[in-house]
Amino acid sequence: MIKKFRLAAVIALSALAGVAHADRLDDIQKTGVLRVAAFDSNPPFGFVDPQSKQISGLDVDYAKELAAKLGVKLELVPTNPANRIPLLAANKVDIVLANFTITEERAKQVNFSIPYFASGQQFIAKKGVLKSADQLGSLRIGVDKGTTNEIVLREKYPTATLVAYDDTPFAFTALRNGNVQAITQDGPKLIGLLANVPDKQNYEIPPFSISDDLIGAGLPKGETRLTEYVNDFLRELEASGKAQQIYDRWFGPDTKTPLTRIFRIGDK
Amino acid sequence: MDFSVITNNLSYFLLGAWPHGPLGGAALTLVLSVCSALASGVLGLVFGVALAMTHGAAHQALVLFLGFFRAIPVLMLIFWTYFLLPIVFGFNVPGVGTVIVALSLIGGSYLAHSVYAGIRSLPPGQWQAAAALGLGRVQALRYVILPQALPIMLPSFLNQWIALIKDSSLAYVIGVGELSFVATQVSNREMVYPTEIFLFVALLYFLICSSLELGAGAIARRYGTAAKPT
Repeated sequence: MIKKFRLAAVIALSALAGVAHADRLDDIQKTGVLRVAAFDSNPPFGFVDPQSKQISGLDVDYAKELAAKLGVKLELVPTNPANRIPLLAANKVDIVLANFTITEERAKQVNFSIPYFASGQQFIAKKGVLKSADQLGSLRIGVDKGTTNEIVLREKYPTATLVAYDDTPFAFTALRNGNVQAITQDGPKLIGLLANVPDKQNYEIPPFSISDDLIGAGLPKGETRLTEYVNDFLRELEASGKAQQIYDRWFGPDTKTPLTRIFRIGDK
Repeated sequence: MDFSVITNNLSYFLLGAWPHGPLGGAALTLVLSVCSALASGVLGLVFGVALAMTHGAAHQALVLFLGFFRAIPVLMLIFWTYFLLPIVFGFNVPGVGTVIVALSLIGGSYLAHSVYAGIRSLPPGQWQAAAALGLGRVQALRYVILPQALPIMLPSFLNQWIALIKDSSLAYVIGVGELSFVATQVSNREMVYPTEIFLFVALLYFLICSSLELGAGAIARRYGTAAKPT
């Protein structure tokens, strides 16, 4: 229900919003604040750190670097997957750094930066339940509302029964309780989730993926200067080795979620 | 059951990231509730009296206006105010303000009808007696009608305020970090303690709501009004 209202709000009214008032990059520098939407429930991309009580994670590190380059204060706004486009459309944030998959459909409503992360859509199931992608059509699968995972799964496996949840941890609770037989999300996000589950030996991420996704920063539609600024920022981050440092902090060999880096900024 | 998840995150549940970030958790729930309770009380009183004092078209217009706010879900009003006003009018309402405005308007509309019913519950003889003493309608309302009607309305106000405390949890839809929102964040991070966390959250809501009830009872007794403790 809410999701439909959100989409309706965005589609019907982003047209009214118009594109050109002041330039957003100027606004950010004038106000001295960069407002970034980040996940608050999706380690290691964005989650509330138990010690500092602040939102932390890979996406947040990118946000911190960007604010530092701009020389402005960083203000983090917690978001779930479905609120990302409304937050941009309603001018509540300047940029979305929340594991945001680049798609043509979304590009009609927001600007995307060049990709800074890549992943594929994968699954978590109880051990032994899910062996190959052929089984997906006959399963009950938990998805997150407002994600590309939901759309891809509906297109490729129309016979699967989909149950939509507000966020990945809710979907995982449903899996734990037996309401669904598998849940789907981007592979790295699932690895991050499973790393925090005390009885993780009962679950597995089967070694196949059903899509290749590129993750970028979401920016307000039509803000070309800000988008170019963020693109340059991302390229610099890769050139200086900072992008690798950030990656290693969350997915390096010594972390809870070791994952080989298969994508570098500028590859696509 | 392992309640160490509660003790480890106690300050986050109660205060959010404060003092190193915005106030959140149970403290923000209290702030939202107190502000909207006061505002809805004032709105309810003003609109309720207006209902009692108006006739004809003005009365009908007011009934329609209040009917609108009684008919839409709080969740929708919060969502639309937060995301729609900036898009359509370029008018930015912060999250906390949005929730207070939405709860006050809807709570106030409910209370207006309680106030109206309270005023109507007095026999017409009271108005006539006041008029016979030479009081105007406003004076009659202030010195004769409201002092008798307000105590009758107290249980309705209390009901509405308790409902409002619990409705403040709907602020989650726009990411305002009140009690149930921060509890969800912790639950999502810790993964396996939803029972402990949400039992604790239920206990906090119970404590907040019961203290309001006890406090209102104590005030009613002290000022010798009609509401008797049960």
